[in-house]
Amino acid sequence: MTSILEVQNVYSGYGKIEVLHGVSIQADSGEIVCIIGPNGSGKSTLLKTIFGLIKPKRGVVLFSGRDISLKEPEEKVGMGIAYIPQGKNIFPSLTVRENLEMGGTPLHDSRVIEKALQDIFQRYPVLEKRMKMKAGSLSGGERQVLALARASMVQPKLMLLDEPSLGLAPKVIEEIYERINAINHAGVTFVIVEQNARKALKSAHRAYVLDLGINRLEDTGERLLNNEEVKRLYLGG
Amino acid sequence: MDFLFQSILNGILAGCIYALFAMGLTLIYGVLNFVNFAHGELIMWGAYFLYFLMGKPFGFPLPIALIPALLLTILLGIGMDRFVFKPLRTANRLTLLIAALGLSFLLRNGAQFLWGAELRTYGFEIKRGLRILGISITLNQVAIILTSIVCIVFVYLLFHRTRLGKSMRAVSDNLELARVMGIDSKHAIQFAWVIASVLAGVGGILLALDTNLQPGMGLINLVKAFAATLLGGVGNIWGALLGGIVIGLAENLGVLVISPGYKDAIAFGIMVLMLLIRPSALLGRQE
Repeated sequence: MTSILEVQNVYSGYGKIEVLHGVSIQADSGEIVCIIGPNGSGKSTLLKTIFGLIKPKRGVVLFSGRDISLKEPEEKVGMGIAYIPQGKNIFPSLTVRENLEMGGTPLHDSRVIEKALQDIFQRYPVLEKRMKMKAGSLSGGERQVLALARASMVQPKLMLLDEPSLGLAPKVIEEIYERINAINHAGVTFVIVEQNARKALKSAHRAYVLDLGINRLEDTGERLLNNEEVKRLYLGG
Repeated sequence: MDFLFQSILNGILAGCIYALFAMGLTLIYGVLNFVNFAHGELIMWGAYFLYFLMGKPFGFPLPIALIPALLLTILLGIGMDRFVFKPLRTANRLTLLIAALGLSFLLRNGAQFLWGAELRTYGFEIKRGLRILGISITLNQVAIILTSIVCIVFVYLLFHRTRLGKSMRAVSDNLELARVMGIDSKHAIQFAWVIASVLAGVGGILLALDTNLQPGMGLINLVKAFAATLLGGVGNIWGALLGGIVIGLAENLGVLVISPGYKDAIAFGIMVLMLLIRPSALLGRQE
């Protein structure tokens, strides 16, 4: 297995407030890696730092062996990294189709975008049916599917997901993780941050527990799911 | 009865122009999340740029002077952003508000310094209007309606058919998310200024054709545009279009009931009413 993402001893935060105090994670190509931890543990900050929305103060982020610590998000999208922020992750006043087109921005050529769009519609017939609808009128689950599909437009190698299950009903979360697994089977690596961690841990090959900006634990998803300490502290008993 | 139809026509005329102003105002609000109180000065300067190019020493006829006048308006708009608003991009809203107000004063007084405070016109003879079904309409007014329609269709096509326009709407919806997608937000913001400036310039020129030029013309029309924007939902460009027409109609039909001296108060009234009923309209857009 080759390592696609390596975060080494990263310190990062907002302005003077440091949130991550030396965090290291690593993802092999084709893995689903899950990061769990309580509110304020720095999970979202970690994803933002990987994606370049925040620059690390110390430490490095390697993508396929290249140091990308200080690169801008726009560049990272071009390199094959997609990031789906938590919550507001679609353009509500744009149609479903236009949302997907926006996801294809790094492809530049309209014909290439159109082709990627048709591929997406084949894989997500539900979105083709809704293509002319305003994305703001979609249900929470559909929005998440749209966000996933939109990120897939550029065929990324690595997808960073911030709480994909936020605010969704259990049945819908199930569906989202089926989609994630399907994309993963096609060879895409995932780093998923979750607060509501059970479902994520079941899908994950490996997982990290983050607490107060430092690594607490690292293990396979399965074992963390059965770890008494994790259960008690982070999965609500 | 004729008087009623005439008022409706006048209302639509005024409304078309307000709509052009409001669409630009709301576009900048959508993309940058602040109300550009100097938008009125883009309107006024647009009209004066044309006046400048048509007067001595150039003496260009209107069709030739039009394009350079709009280009100058675009330059002014981009300059506003580049030298005033861009350095304040991360500043809080109050700072931006005060900067915009200051800029508005500066530009208004600048125009007054150059051209004086008196009313000016482009110097066309006032022609008698055509009479259709008892309504009088001048050729200028026909031009106002046609030009507004062309502008609106142009904006529609731009926003819904081109990738640049769609990116601009995306940036307006969620700037951070647009960045995440690799959309060049700086490019989109600059283009928004171009469109807002063109709409302001065209509107200002149309208004000056129908009435006259005066350094204060931007300010009073900004209030109308602001009322239209609130009515249509801030950040919503089609709402702004509709809001503009409603304000224009309300003003001109209102005159049937109250004294014409209070015409300008109607837009203020609608604005205050909107703020009372839907204060949320100012703070954010509903999804």
